[in-house]
Amino acid sequence: MEFQRETYSSNHKTSFFNLGILIFMIALLLFLPLFISPLWIRITTEVLMWAGLAQSWNIIGGYTGYLCFGHGAFFGIGAYLTGLLMVHLNWPFGFCLFISGILASFLAFFIGYPTLRLRGAYFAIATWAFGEMIRQIATILDITGGAFGMQLPAYLNLPFFYYIMLLVTGMTYLTTHLLLERARFGYRLLAIREHEEAAEMVGVDTTMTKIKAFALSAFFPGIFGGIYAYWVTYIHPDSVLKADITDFMVVMAFLGGIGSLWGPLLGAIVVQFIQRILWIVWGEGTFYLVIIGLSICAVVLFIPNGLIGLLEVRIHSPKESINFLMKKFKW
Amino acid sequence: MELFIQTLIDGLLIGGLIIVVGIGFSLCFGVMHIVDFAVGEWVMLGAYTSYLMVRYFGHDPMIYLPILFLIFAGLGWLIYPLIYRAVSGKRHNPVIMGLVFTFGLSIMAKGGALSVWGYHIQSITTWLSGKSLSLGGLVTLPALRFAGFIFGIGVTLLFMIFLYKTKFGVIIRATAQDRETASLLGTDVKKIGGLVYSLYAGLTGMSGVLIGALFSIHAAMGAKYCTLAFFVVVLAGMGYVPGVIIAAFVLGLLQSLVGVYIGGRYNLVALFIVMYGVLLITPKGLLRRGI
Repeated sequence: MEFQRETYSSNHKTSFFNLGILIFMIALLLFLPLFISPLWIRITTEVLMWAGLAQSWNIIGGYTGYLCFGHGAFFGIGAYLTGLLMVHLNWPFGFCLFISGILASFLAFFIGYPTLRLRGAYFAIATWAFGEMIRQIATILDITGGAFGMQLPAYLNLPFFYYIMLLVTGMTYLTTHLLLERARFGYRLLAIREHEEAAEMVGVDTTMTKIKAFALSAFFPGIFGGIYAYWVTYIHPDSVLKADITDFMVVMAFLGGIGSLWGPLLGAIVVQFIQRILWIVWGEGTFYLVIIGLSICAVVLFIPNGLIGLLEVRIHSPKESINFLMKKFKW
Repeated sequence: MELFIQTLIDGLLIGGLIIVVGIGFSLCFGVMHIVDFAVGEWVMLGAYTSYLMVRYFGHDPMIYLPILFLIFAGLGWLIYPLIYRAVSGKRHNPVIMGLVFTFGLSIMAKGGALSVWGYHIQSITTWLSGKSLSLGGLVTLPALRFAGFIFGIGVTLLFMIFLYKTKFGVIIRATAQDRETASLLGTDVKKIGGLVYSLYAGLTGMSGVLIGALFSIHAAMGAKYCTLAFFVVVLAGMGYVPGVIIAAFVLGLLQSLVGVYIGGRYNLVALFIVMYGVLLITPKGLLRRGI
């Protein structure tokens, strides 16, 4: 199929190329804080976080083809759990992060079990309702501080958060590369996305594979939530559980290109850039939601393979490139 | 005991109104296989439109019901070609594209409403607000809720007659049953989809007037009605239209019982638990008739 050739880099040459770029980028980012100002360290940390979150959404949304509209809930759960464990039990930060990730995965298993047995939109609906429920629970529970939120021990060390974010984001991309682009698990997911009945026919345990993919994709937002909570030190339902977090993950993954390793990274960079520009021009407001919604719709209508699909232009002749681009804009 | 009966009646009355939100949504899924994430935003826009009309033209909001139906049916008719474009063409996974497209629409509508009207809470009053009927001294029927119930039942009856007794309804049901065969027999599937979508948008926008009059109007209210609509179609069985009626009453009763005996703050939690149970035990809905 034409689609397979375009977006799924199954041959080993591209695969080693991707791994090389990944390692090179991580190495480059390791030394970046030595050369840039604290403001830029902050911005880069945030971009790294969003790139990781978008990639984690991509695991279930892009590679498996099941849209999760409650992914922000895992982020919030991670943030709250890390906060609670650190404040009440004084557990070490790294261990709290791990526990948060495990809990998020466990909850994903719990939601995925009934909904991923079914095909179609049940999963999207159930995850959306789950996200709404978690937000309400965080507002009514006493232990989470209700609508007022909770305070974490302050730790003002910018490079620390930069490096830990880099570590987890690197882990997310490496996992995606090794487990979804190169391993049998990834091929199973691809088979499910392209033709679920056929995949089942040739012996793929579709339900279990989908649940595993969902648990994997929920693990990372749990950890990112924990890091974010410790980083900003004050969390409340409107900051770590608002619907925007899911919206941003979806728009970043879609704008960059779903089902590709580099799409979410590109999407995260572009969206963060646009958001900062908007913030400078308009200041605080809700207009950015219109832009997010508009860009999701525009991507679906015009470039369903995302920006990364546009970058695959082969530079043989200008005419060929133009034809290629015209084909990409599917109107 | 009196409280219990009153709670049951309140729940049934709300359930009657919720049918209107769920029924178009369910038909829309049945015919086009699209889950419209913007369902709550249609309710929100309907409520705001009626609020603005009352503010600028006066009169009672109830008389704007037919006008709102026309406005929102028109809007749905205009938006539908884009949705059709999103789910067809050379895209390899139309279901995903449709879902994400309506998700984008809902974010856009919510963001636009928040930008224009802010976080203020508005309300509209009708001549029925605050009045109530007493039933044998035992229970009282709040007039507005009763009107909402009557409206819901009336619209549902009309809708059912349209769907099951007219030729056009037969075509819609045939398309829902098997798109390809219907199109082979000469049905313009795209056009039918457009009509169903505009019918759905009109009904949902119209229900916004009564929902706005009964509860409150604010720009972020869409999420709540989106959850309710999802709950109703899952309970009814996705795409099974008659099931919506039972599911809406179950939802109304559940909401009202939880609100009185446990606390209104827990309603989403209760809804999720019931929805989870239904998906676990009978994923095709309470009547096992979904697709």
